[in-house]
Amino acid sequence: MRFLVLIIKNIRRNLVRSALTSLGTIVLVFVVTLVWAILSFLDAAMAEKSQDFKGIVTERWRLPSQMPFAYAASLCAGAASQPGDVRPDDSMTWQFYGGTVDPDKRTRENSLFAIATDPSKLRTMMDELDSLPPDDAARLDEAIAKMQQNRQGIILGKDRLASLNKRVGERIKLYGINYRDIDLELEIVGSFPESRYDNTAVIHRDYLLASLDAYERQTGKPHPLADKTLNLVWLRVPDTETFGKVANQILTSPSYSSPAVKFETAASGIATFLEAYRDLIWGMRWLLAPAILITLSLVISNAISISVRERQTELAVLKVLGFRPWQILTLVLGEALLIGVGSGLCSALATFVTINYVLGGIKFPIAFFGAFYIPAEAILWGVSVGLVTAWIGSIVPAWSAQKVKVSEVFAKVA
Amino acid sequence: MADSVTDRRWIVRVQGVHRYFKRGSERVDVLKDLTLNVPEGEFFGLMGPSGSGKTTLLNLIAGLDKPSEGQVWVGDDQISAMSEGQLARWRTRHIGFIFQFYHLMPVLTAFENVELPLLLLPLSARQRREQVMTALDLVGLSDRVRHRPGQLSGGQQQRVGIARAIVTDPTLIVADEPTGDLDSRSADEIMNLLEELLRSLHKTILLVTHDPRAALRAHRVLHLEKGKLVEQPEMLGAE
Repeated sequence: MRFLVLIIKNIRRNLVRSALTSLGTIVLVFVVTLVWAILSFLDAAMAEKSQDFKGIVTERWRLPSQMPFAYAASLCAGAASQPGDVRPDDSMTWQFYGGTVDPDKRTRENSLFAIATDPSKLRTMMDELDSLPPDDAARLDEAIAKMQQNRQGIILGKDRLASLNKRVGERIKLYGINYRDIDLELEIVGSFPESRYDNTAVIHRDYLLASLDAYERQTGKPHPLADKTLNLVWLRVPDTETFGKVANQILTSPSYSSPAVKFETAASGIATFLEAYRDLIWGMRWLLAPAILITLSLVISNAISISVRERQTELAVLKVLGFRPWQILTLVLGEALLIGVGSGLCSALATFVTINYVLGGIKFPIAFFGAFYIPAEAILWGVSVGLVTAWIGSIVPAWSAQKVKVSEVFAKVA
Repeated sequence: MADSVTDRRWIVRVQGVHRYFKRGSERVDVLKDLTLNVPEGEFFGLMGPSGSGKTTLLNLIAGLDKPSEGQVWVGDDQISAMSEGQLARWRTRHIGFIFQFYHLMPVLTAFENVELPLLLLPLSARQRREQVMTALDLVGLSDRVRHRPGQLSGGQQQRVGIARAIVTDPTLIVADEPTGDLDSRSADEIMNLLEELLRSLHKTILLVTHDPRAALRAHRVLHLEKGKLVEQPEMLGAE
């Protein structure tokens, strides 16, 4: 603490250089925080659990998975058919319906991808919707109740509402993109609370199924996707033992031979889905993030090296006054660490607030994740990144500072 | 340690010191078999042409360098046998260094500059403040405590340098051409101040100078030429 004033005053000695170094640190910590937030989210999504987790049933050999809806009921029961067979705790079916409000001029803004499901499963089977604050939970429950009464209801995330320029209570007509000629007349019955579902849309599966039936009635032939409408089935199981038994029931059942299905944990399913992004994620983790950290170390190293070179005489004077080498090392390291930690903290805090509360998440279109949020621990990342890169960047100049030879420096001065 | 004849205590004893530097394969002898004793309370002057080894000798006595051969004692401490860390600690307590170009920290105020060596000692903030104010009072700058070096004249900066040198109450004050960067009036003021400190604080002062007027203030003056003391003064001690 005694040296703190000296450290701070040395940082203020060249304000422009210190400010530029700090700014460089802030920008780089900002970028690395964004990258790590996405990677951390994906890692968490792919992390295996052992208790109360979800499994996902999909078509075994094809992406995207397209199964007949006839599979739904028995799969939701975990293919339990014999006494003693185990059943999952809960289940949910997903059918993906892509549509646009303007078929003549389709854009990203006027199109959406909706999950057609049983609305009663939203609160029990979709991550984070089972632990909403009371007010948000009440609003969502109200929307779900409306959708159960009106199968033409749709619940939208706030960003999707904004991009469509619609409000709750208004009606929209979606023209089918993947379900060609299946157009849906929908009433917006509610919105998701601010969360990862800001870009999500959910419709009632009964309405989609009824529309497919109507298509067959009108045209005299089934819709091309009528027998391929079930994309995913989610099953919640209490533990790995139950998961194994349910998996065995599904995989050995003769009911699912054409097409064949597979049952894997949600984490494994997401990992499989993310295979397509493997190179991108690898590049972010092993090229982009390390490159940022190295650049940050070099920025700090450059600034501290210049500072040490300029202050050779002062460092020699400190030695004359009795400062020991480790104390001089501490002074120089202290300057770098103060800049690194301070800038890292400011950057991480600003990133956390700006991304989560101002921008509503990072809109990084990867897999089916609409937006990524900065976790609270990112503030610790910022501090750690600042600390470690400042240490790495300044250790060499600090080491050279503590090795300053008094007699040589003053010989040059004289 | 005392001289048997004069019964004066030697504060500095330089015994058979050689100091040479290597420049490639060439050996440059700066000090050659040098012996020197300085008694406590003396104002001792060292003169000589450039390159004669004055600063090298001063650095050895101040514990900034080590002899290639021989011993250097200050008080009861053989500083030539100390490690760099020990020397650093020793310098804090025993040496006050006054530089030709002041070498104050430009980012610190006069008060903070004088306080610097005290940061290394186990003193409370209050004790440090008292010692700094006493030192600045002694050099007549108690009204300039908040000024930075850039806001002070050359003479005032050197006074701050002197305050920094005496603030730890050192055994020995070492001054390397303290008037070399000053006009004659400021130089006189600085020399008056050093004499005053000698009288009031009973310090031993080692002065390296090119300036004959400054050297006149010393109790005795030795000359160094090509690494050897060429004039043997009457008080040069014999062990």
